[in-house]
Amino acid sequence: MDAELILIQLFSGVALGAILVITALGLSIIFGMLGVVNFAHGALFMIGAYAGLWVASLTGSFWWGLLVAPIMIGVFGMAIEWLLVRPLYGRSVDDPLLLTFGLSYVLVEAVRIVFGNDGIPFPTPSQLTGVANLGVGYFPIYRLFVIVVVAVVLLLLWLALEKTKFGLIVRAGSRDPTIMRVLGVNISKVWLLVFGVGVGLAALGGVLAGPMRTVNPEMGSLVLIEAFVVTVIGGLGSLLGSVVAGLLVGVAISMTALFAPEMGTIVMFALMALVLLVRPRGLFGKAA
Amino acid sequence: MERDMTVKSIPLAATSSGARKATDLAAALTNWRVLLSIAALCLLPWVLPSKALAVNVLVYGVLAMGYNLLFGYTGLLSFGHAAFFGAGAYVTGIAIGQFGVPWYGAVLLGVIGGGLLALAIGALSIRTRGIYFSMVTLALAQLVYHVALQASSWTGGENGLRGFTVAKIDIAGFSINFLDPVSKYYVLMVFAALALWFVSRILNSPFGAAIEAIRENETRARTCGYDVERTKLISFVLSGLICALAGTMSALHLAFVPLDVLHYQTSGMIVMMTLLGGASSFFGPFVGALAFLLMEDVFSLWTSHWQIIVGSIFILFVLFLPKGIWGTFLARVVR
Amino acid sequence: MSAPLLAVENVGRRFGGFVALDGVTAQFEPNKVTSIIGPNGAGKSTFFNVLSGVLTPSTGSIRFKGQNLTGTRQHKFVHLGIARSYQITNIFPELSAHENVRVAAQAARSRYNIWRNRSHFPELGERADAALDSVGLGGKHNETAKFLAHGQQRALEIAIALVSDPEVLLLDEPTAGMGPEETKDMVALLEKLARDRTILLVEHKMKMILGLSDRILVLHHGRLIADGSPRDIQADPDVRRVYLGQNDGYA
Repeated sequence: MDAELILIQLFSGVALGAILVITALGLSIIFGMLGVVNFAHGALFMIGAYAGLWVASLTGSFWWGLLVAPIMIGVFGMAIEWLLVRPLYGRSVDDPLLLTFGLSYVLVEAVRIVFGNDGIPFPTPSQLTGVANLGVGYFPIYRLFVIVVVAVVLLLLWLALEKTKFGLIVRAGSRDPTIMRVLGVNISKVWLLVFGVGVGLAALGGVLAGPMRTVNPEMGSLVLIEAFVVTVIGGLGSLLGSVVAGLLVGVAISMTALFAPEMGTIVMFALMALVLLVRPRGLFGKAA
Repeated sequence: MERDMTVKSIPLAATSSGARKATDLAAALTNWRVLLSIAALCLLPWVLPSKALAVNVLVYGVLAMGYNLLFGYTGLLSFGHAAFFGAGAYVTGIAIGQFGVPWYGAVLLGVIGGGLLALAIGALSIRTRGIYFSMVTLALAQLVYHVALQASSWTGGENGLRGFTVAKIDIAGFSINFLDPVSKYYVLMVFAALALWFVSRILNSPFGAAIEAIRENETRARTCGYDVERTKLISFVLSGLICALAGTMSALHLAFVPLDVLHYQTSGMIVMMTLLGGASSFFGPFVGALAFLLMEDVFSLWTSHWQIIVGSIFILFVLFLPKGIWGTFLARVVR
Repeated sequence: MSAPLLAVENVGRRFGGFVALDGVTAQFEPNKVTSIIGPNGAGKSTFFNVLSGVLTPSTGSIRFKGQNLTGTRQHKFVHLGIARSYQITNIFPELSAHENVRVAAQAARSRYNIWRNRSHFPELGERADAALDSVGLGGKHNETAKFLAHGQQRALEIAIALVSDPEVLLLDEPTAGMGPEETKDMVALLEKLARDRTILLVEHKMKMILGLSDRILVLHHGRLIADGSPRDIQADPDVRRVYLGQNDGYA
């Protein structure tokens, strides 16, 4: 097989993985801090894509869509936490999961009502169309752009978590919420914000993924499952785990597609099963 | 604080004659739960608007009851039970259609097939802790979906599996016309009755006490000497067997297995039915299946977006009625 | 001195870089009460978790009646004869007091039996009744566990551990959160249990410890710093410095 083709496919895998990383990271942050598995994460990814499309068509600029949609959906996420998830703290850990599962149903149908059942094409912004020569071959500029945006967002998140007071609170709070109360930190405000950021990341993933596929109401369910697989492989609550596993899964899917296209999805599950057998807590998961 | 708590600790049975009657009623409902459930299901085709709906309540009721063994009684939230339902349906269909196995053999094979799949998926997912379990069962069931999609020479892929119509059931010298909706209902009713008896058997047994203990307090159950992982796995497999039986019922009923039986939405529907009816109540899953299917029938007359209504109702149940319809009824009326 | 029933040899446990338990060696003789004391974070809970199989030690070994238990899965400990209670009440909240204890008794046998009724094993019910009576919960058999008073839940906790008829009973702060009256009842119960059982006790109430114990172990920063009779421990200068010297020592 052609070495250039393999390298290009590898890049494709990284771009695909980058979307997975950003989405799984949102899921992982919310779980790490609140102990909630957000089953509506895929639906919010999908709504992010629609919101991006809507803002872009309203303003005539993809860039506004990219910037505004994640914030919009992030705020919507905060409303979800405040209105629906908060009453469930102190109950079984399954309850928020069940609730967000029901919510995903409602969100998908709501989008169907507003935007219809059919897929809508999400045009690639004109500045990012075309291909670039990477030395080993030609690669779509938009995919390079996705990789860069995700890298920048990861860097910003890392700085926010490591270098700010808020980050310190988040890191300490995910280890021991009672310490936060003792220190007089308003933990419910932190939770609200963290849920918003996590949902915002899903929406950002949705906007970024938009031009790479058609936008449709069903796109979230596959993403949710992919994000689950990534978090299980990486270790739930581990940010580094999400990054490594996201890229791993992206590359694995993309490389398999080169040899046996129909096996792409199956290989991801096989990878997860393997990790479960060898290391049930995930690659970077903490021991119980 | 400790003082006024002692006031509460008067034995419940000795409070009043009203309470005594209620406790007797609860005990009677428990002792006769299999026969009462069978009686209720026997009446079903005559009180529901259509026989087709009654058959569906039967199939999905058994499915949700099998799921409830794991979710309601063992406390494990699986999001992958479509896999066992689908496995039962596909194996039955393939056995009849491609190997000419008689219907009873196909049902047996379907149940065994679903049980083996449950053993494999259970063994992998029970290795994980807590909330991981839901995610892993979902992902592994999705793997089964994709495998069935790819193995189209066996499963018919996206078009589903056809060509295994069972027209009549020959048993003990009798020939029952399986195309007649009423006789079909009562044939499937026999399977449902078996499942009801089997689940009640499990719940009455020491093993039933063990899974309840694990649901109540896993740490303590382990400290008491229970091999929690093995107990969970057995419960997972038993649950998978019953869901596979529901799958074989569905295959016989429809003479068709749509690929959707394996879809993530089917797993979600099982969760919804169980919770709506009342997780950890014996008859709740049937009530939940009936409620869900009735809602689907009624709301889909108004709008093709009926799922938004069902989803909202489900959210309200999680928030305000976590015991479900039947569970709340038992708690409020009977007690 | 009789042969040790339970012996730990150089047992240690690390969590990442943190050493919670550091090379503890001790032997426990039959039918004695041994208290384990030490300031918060001294490693008492870790020690108990290692002794009851909740945690596998990072170093060292545990021997029970000559058998090496290191690495044995937790649920087997109770079958071998080591049972424990928890500091934070750890019961089956929705089950009746009777069923709480009966289900514990059942774990020793017929765990996976689905063909019999629970009531088919009346001796399990009788043992549960006896265990409940022995901890003073005679009138509460049918009460749902979560509705019991705090002190009664603590007693239930002990009945659950007791019903397996263990040779070694590990009790983690059995009087936690109890008022003086309830504490007095619990001390009487422990005195009764101590007649024919080996008891290891983690407690903070010093008067109770000095009254009950045949022997006291003192842990500090994961290390065993003293081991002796209550009188020796009270006189030990090291112990006085790190532990008894503190104001809350005799609280």
